[in-house]
Parts: sequence; structure tokens; C-alpha cells
Amino acid sequence: MSETSSDGARRLAEGARNRVQFEEEALALADQVYRVARGVSRSKEEAEDLMQETYARAFRSWQSYTPGTNLRAWLLRILTNLNIDRGRRAQRAPDSQPLEETDYFLYNRLDPTNQSDEERVLQRLSQDNVAEALSEVPHDFRDVVVLVDIGEFSYAEAAQILDIPIGTVMSRLHRGRRILKKELADLAVDSQ
Amino acid sequence: MTADELCDWCEEVLQPYLDRELTADERKEAEGHLADCTYCRKRYKFEDGLRRLVRSSVLEPMEPALKARLANLRLEL
Repeated sequence: MSETSSDGARRLAEGARNRVQFEEEALALADQVYRVARGVSRSKEEAEDLMQETYARAFRSWQSYTPGTNLRAWLLRILTNLNIDRGRRAQRAPDSQPLEETDYFLYNRLDPTNQSDEERVLQRLSQDNVAEALSEVPHDFRDVVVLVDIGEFSYAEAAQILDIPIGTVMSRLHRGRRILKKELADLAVDSQ
Repeated sequence: MTADELCDWCEEVLQPYLDRELTADERKEAEGHLADCTYCRKRYKFEDGLRRLVRSSVLEPMEPALKARLANLRLEL
């Protein structure tokens, strides 16, 4: 075997090793990626489809991942882009919904007497309420809330994943949370 | 908890504090303020509870079958 072809074989073997390592690391993060997928999807089935599309694309384009950088963020960038591409934005325009002036309406709706402990009052909401309310938050805002609150990403990481400026992350987060609270307040009133 | 009690500090710093965005010094300052300000403590408890509620809404784990399907998506060597 000439030196050139043995170099080639070594490179091939190294490439295969890197790929297997990439695949193992990506699969090990699947539970964490799934939580975000579930947060940005309306149903479990939609989240499962999104996961499969994300991992299929990730495995195909593994060479564009730079080893040593944040793999979870890289996978979620694929996921959020796919979610946008799939046209799941068919919701009302965010600005068409009036929001209350202050940030206290959810607490006040949950406890009009203002007597309850702030933490306990939230126990009147179920996990289903939250999932339903989240699904009502328009995508641009929901993606940021899910990445920061569920994925526990920093503002800078969320900005990188969604390819938007950090200031936009902060303003969408602020508005997204207010829309979420408004939806939760509406659900709380409906169920009374 | 009403808007009448508004605290400017709270509106500016509470969210980044809860989002783990403050430096160690800023956190210390924030914790000092939270210890002293009843209004901010109430807001903190409510906002923190809300974040935990949002996180707990998606704690349902992935189905093992989906995990297996993802592993099968790997390309052949």
C-alpha cells in the first residue's frame, strides 16, 4: 500500500469514527431536544414527526457541525428552522391581540381576593392548561419562551439558534410571556 | 399584588435574574433587593412558579419507540 492510500484509509477511518461519535452524542441529547419539540408543537404526533425530520437532517449534515461547539443548540437550530419551514405559523398576528396594561392580570384572575400565596395560586392551573395556552402563543414568541424556559438556554444561545438579535430575543420573550399569561388567565376564567 | 405597588427594580431586573442572565455581582445585588422588597418577592415567587409550571408541562418523556426510530435514521457506514 502506498503512503498516499494508507493516509486515505486513515482519514476514512477517522471520518467514520467522528461520525459515529457525532451520532451517539446527538442521540444522547434526544430527550432534551424532545422537550423543546413538544413545547413548540401542538401535539405529541407533531413533535414526533419534527424529531424524526430533525435527526434525519442532522445525520445527513453532520459534517457541518463543528466538534466542541454546543451540539444541543445546533440540533435545535435545525428543529426550529424545520418547524418554521413546515408553515406552522398559521396563527393570528401577534399584534392583533390586545394585552392588558400590567403584568398582574393572571394573578388577579386566579385570585380576585388577592389573598393567596403567589406560588399556591398557580396550582389552580393544570399542565394541560399550560400546554393549551402555549399552543396559542404565536410561533415567533413561543419559540423563544420554549427555548429559554423549557430548554434553559441563555438569551445569547436562543439568539444563535433562532438567528435573531439578542434584543429581539428579549422583546419576544417579554411579549411571549405576557401572551402566555393572558391565555392562562382566559383558561382560568373559562374553567371557573 | 397590584400595579399600585410597582417597583421599578423589579420590572428591570427580575426577568433577567430568573433567566440566569445576571453576573455573580448582579445576582448578589438582586438577592439583597429581594430580601428587602415585599412586592418583588411576591412577583419573584409568582414568576418562578410560572416558569416551573411551563417546564413541567413537557416533562412527559419521549416514547422508547421514537428513540429507536431516531437511532435507525443513522446513515450506514
